[in-house]
Amino acid sequence: MVQKPWFKIFIWFLATFFFFLASGVIISLLKPGPSESEVMQYMSGMMGAMESSIMGVMMGMESNQLLQNFFLLTLILFPIIVIFSLIIGFVLRRKNSEVKNDQ
Amino acid sequence: MKNLRFDFVIHWIYAIIWALLAISGFSLISAKFGWMIGFDFKMADMIHRINAALFVLITFISIIYEVIRKIKNDDKTKPWFIIGRSGYQLFNFIVSLLLIVSGALIWICMEFNFKALALALTVHEYISYVALGSVIWHIYKKTHILAWPKKKAVNINNK
Repeated sequence: MVQKPWFKIFIWFLATFFFFLASGVIISLLKPGPSESEVMQYMSGMMGAMESSIMGVMMGMESNQLLQNFFLLTLILFPIIVIFSLIIGFVLRRKNSEVKNDQ
Repeated sequence: MKNLRFDFVIHWIYAIIWALLAISGFSLISAKFGWMIGFDFKMADMIHRINAALFVLITFISIIYEVIRKIKNDDKTKPWFIIGRSGYQLFNFIVSLLLIVSGALIWICMEFNFKALALALTVHEYISYVALGSVIWHIYKKTHILAWPKKKAVNINNK
């Protein structure tokens, strides 16, 4: 699969994309500014995103009780699941090492 | 196409999702970064959130796959897999979890807890720089994949 020409082109494209992205990030970090027009564009862009994007839906969460309850439930469940999975992980490691020792 | 491996497919889907998350995410950092996506934050926000959900899903599937392998005591190396028990795979697993947790906090705390939001934003941003650097290093280490297969020399005299 990796040797197929179309896949090689895809890998080249993706690799080039990441190098250009890294260059873009370095340029953005080191360039002077932000200029006044950049700040204005940033503010108006963010306002646009808040009005008609998923960001807007999240901003209106204060008035949505169902969504709030859902997030509260996920926040409660999150540490329980993490602790539970850690315990299972350690038990499995112990079990597998015992099987290896027996062999 | 018949011999496509699960870890291979997951690796490249993950790479595409990561690329989309990176370009949309970095452009959202501040006014200095907005030029990367033409200050179209509506599109960047949409791309970032949809791909974030896919990112969580693919990481979750990978964790389940790895847990099943562990239960079955399968110690075969999966060179293409995105997460693993050592090396870059382990690093990627930790970075992915940190990005998911901090990203979820940003998503949830936007309206409620500004201290948590500030902390999550800082962690998300700096982990992203580290992750991008690590991707460049990963590509550098795997440059042999980029090499085109050499064509066999044709001997004219034997024809």
